[in-house]
Amino acid sequence: MTQLATTDPTRTEQPPPTGPAIRRPGRHRYARAVAVFVAPFGILFALFYLAPIGYSIVQSLYVVKRTGTYGPAQEVFGGLAQYRLVFSDGPFWTSVARMVAFGAVQVPIMLGLALALALLLDSGLITGRRFFRLAFFVPYAVPGVVAAIMWGFLYSPQLSPLKPITSTVDLLSADTVLWSIANVVTWVYVGYNMLIIYSALMSIPTEMYEAARLDGAGRMRIAWSIKIPLVMPAIVLTTVFSIIGTLQLLSEPQVFRSFSSAVSSTYTPNMTVFSLSAIPNFNLAAAFSVVLALTTFVLSFAFLKATQRRGMP
Amino acid sequence: MSALLRTISVLLTSAVAVTACSSPDASPGGSTASACAPSGGGPVTLTFTSWIPNIEQVVQAWNAKNPDIQVKVQTGPNGNGGTYQNFFNQLKAGNAPDLGQIEYDALPGFRVQDGLFDLGACDIVAKAKDQFVPWTWNQVSLGDPAAAFGVPQDTGPMALFYRADLFDKAGIAVPATWQEYAAAAEKVKAAGGYITNFSQSDINQFAGLAWQAGGNWFGNDGQKWTVNLTDDKTTKVAKYWQDLIDRKLVSSVPPWTTEWDNAYNTDQAWTWVSAVWGANSIATGAPKTAGKWRVAPMPQWSSGEASAGNWGGSSTAVFKSSKHPYEAAKFALWLNTSDEALTLLNQKANLYPATKAGANLPALTGGVAFYGDQKIYEVFAAASAQVPAGFTWGPSMTATYANASDGFKAAVSGKGTLVDALTGAQAYTVQTLKNQAIPVA
Repeated sequence: MTQLATTDPTRTEQPPPTGPAIRRPGRHRYARAVAVFVAPFGILFALFYLAPIGYSIVQSLYVVKRTGTYGPAQEVFGGLAQYRLVFSDGPFWTSVARMVAFGAVQVPIMLGLALALALLLDSGLITGRRFFRLAFFVPYAVPGVVAAIMWGFLYSPQLSPLKPITSTVDLLSADTVLWSIANVVTWVYVGYNMLIIYSALMSIPTEMYEAARLDGAGRMRIAWSIKIPLVMPAIVLTTVFSIIGTLQLLSEPQVFRSFSSAVSSTYTPNMTVFSLSAIPNFNLAAAFSVVLALTTFVLSFAFLKATQRRGMP
Repeated sequence: MSALLRTISVLLTSAVAVTACSSPDASPGGSTASACAPSGGGPVTLTFTSWIPNIEQVVQAWNAKNPDIQVKVQTGPNGNGGTYQNFFNQLKAGNAPDLGQIEYDALPGFRVQDGLFDLGACDIVAKAKDQFVPWTWNQVSLGDPAAAFGVPQDTGPMALFYRADLFDKAGIAVPATWQEYAAAAEKVKAAGGYITNFSQSDINQFAGLAWQAGGNWFGNDGQKWTVNLTDDKTTKVAKYWQDLIDRKLVSSVPPWTTEWDNAYNTDQAWTWVSAVWGANSIATGAPKTAGKWRVAPMPQWSSGEASAGNWGGSSTAVFKSSKHPYEAAKFALWLNTSDEALTLLNQKANLYPATKAGANLPALTGGVAFYGDQKIYEVFAAASAQVPAGFTWGPSMTATYANASDGFKAAVSGKGTLVDALTGAQAYTVQTLKNQAIPVA
């Protein structure tokens, strides 16, 4: 207990609390206070994050044994047997590749739009800034499933109010449906990402702009040379979120499955996991989840490393 | 060790403990006590999950008369639309309801997962066996004459719903054989419509068509399962529909969507080979066409035959984890055999009873207004008697349907054929069974 206080010199050097009624907090009190403040997070983190991950890993290491056509299942330790099935599953890796292609196109477009909107709001060029800030964000408040259903109607050849478009291009065909879904995802998440970038813009000290203006920089130059470099950490953060979100896409394509002949039950990695748990083959679904989580982790981490190497934050 | 570290390690340990508690060797419903006796001691409350439209009103009738066995209804999406997945998760988590609606094709899957209480142990259920149409009992006994893994609820004998007004106007005779149906399809196309919509994602309709033709997809000799999605009869049916798709004589709007309803509501689709409960789907999905539909027997593969397919139909099953199987069985029997419940189920949801006596209920012998007062249930009663007995469902229909549907969707988009789709689904089904250590030939 004492070690905690000694390894934390800033604490001991704090000025003693004034006022006669307040006792000087003892060293034990600090330790207890830290535990009390950390506990709610720690407990929830353990219960809803660590435990499920641990449970999935445990599940993924088991296989089922049974005798007879209706024999009850016995789960026995199977080592990496389920993982062998995962790595030999063609449609799953096709779906991962599909999501990587999706992300390579959709994420830059979405974040480019988000950055442009954030810069526009921050530029002071438009009136009604508060209105637009909310207006851009509203689609995010629409649940993903509802957004997908709404767009599904807009894309449907027979029901769409946009008939001139839907009668010339089938927005739900095998060639286009991925990008139709990309449009839905972009519509939902642009405002959310814009808000993160916008709040980063708000925290840039105005002295920077004054200095730049004194040096003769115009609006465009300020945006390009000051604002964008300074909000780069926010852009990197939103990119990582978007990579994670892309690989875990589920509800939009799941809804589109009922609208479009081109969306199969294994269209995205998460849909494969979802259909396996419906069989139900929980062990195999768990192995797929673990591999998907690792893939997501590797891709996010690779992106972070790449941006760091290029001297970005 | 510092307090902080200790706190973290305690949390980590408890996380591991939580994981360990639910480690796989504790299989759900492990005890195989199959006694079916009254619980005794006070009133019981049962939970029942179903997606039958207006089921609450039917259960209300039971609750009003049975203060000691109260039933609480939970509703949800249809089985493959999410309720089965909930059931499986609930079974795994140990909080399944007492009773659940399970379609015949899904019962083997729930039995393989060891989720069902064998109602054959309940004398009241065993005694009721003779009240049911024999083939429906086969669907719940799953090859074991003494067993009943659910109480048959309704059946889905199939027939041909057709737009009598449009057929009259175009001078087309109602097709009695599939050859005539294909010929009629050309004339309908010439008149600016489609004879029907081919169901690309709901494979159950195709299963019903294969069932009528004499196909049999699964077998179970007690040792091993056999899977045969590409037998001669099924292949014949697949080739027939592939031809109609190739010639663009059928539309391929995704089923059960607003767009699909719209196609029926706006005279674009003229017939639907569907089950008895489809009467409700048309009436609610295409209200503008009231009075214009009629029902005829399903087209035959050769003239003079009399065979019908079956599409859907549910049982009321009791889950193994139920603490009150006797009371649950009592409710399930009332729901599926009493005149009161069967009449209500028919009026509220167009369900067609699985009991022999059900066909004679007053509600099922009169005319139906939406169908121009035609006595449509007479057609379905005849069809019910013509459904080939012995069609067996496999233990992982969710997987079979999902894969076949992917293939069917590809086929209607011009990639591959329906036969290719069935060949793929065959391989996938066998692999799915092997992955779960279910013995398969």
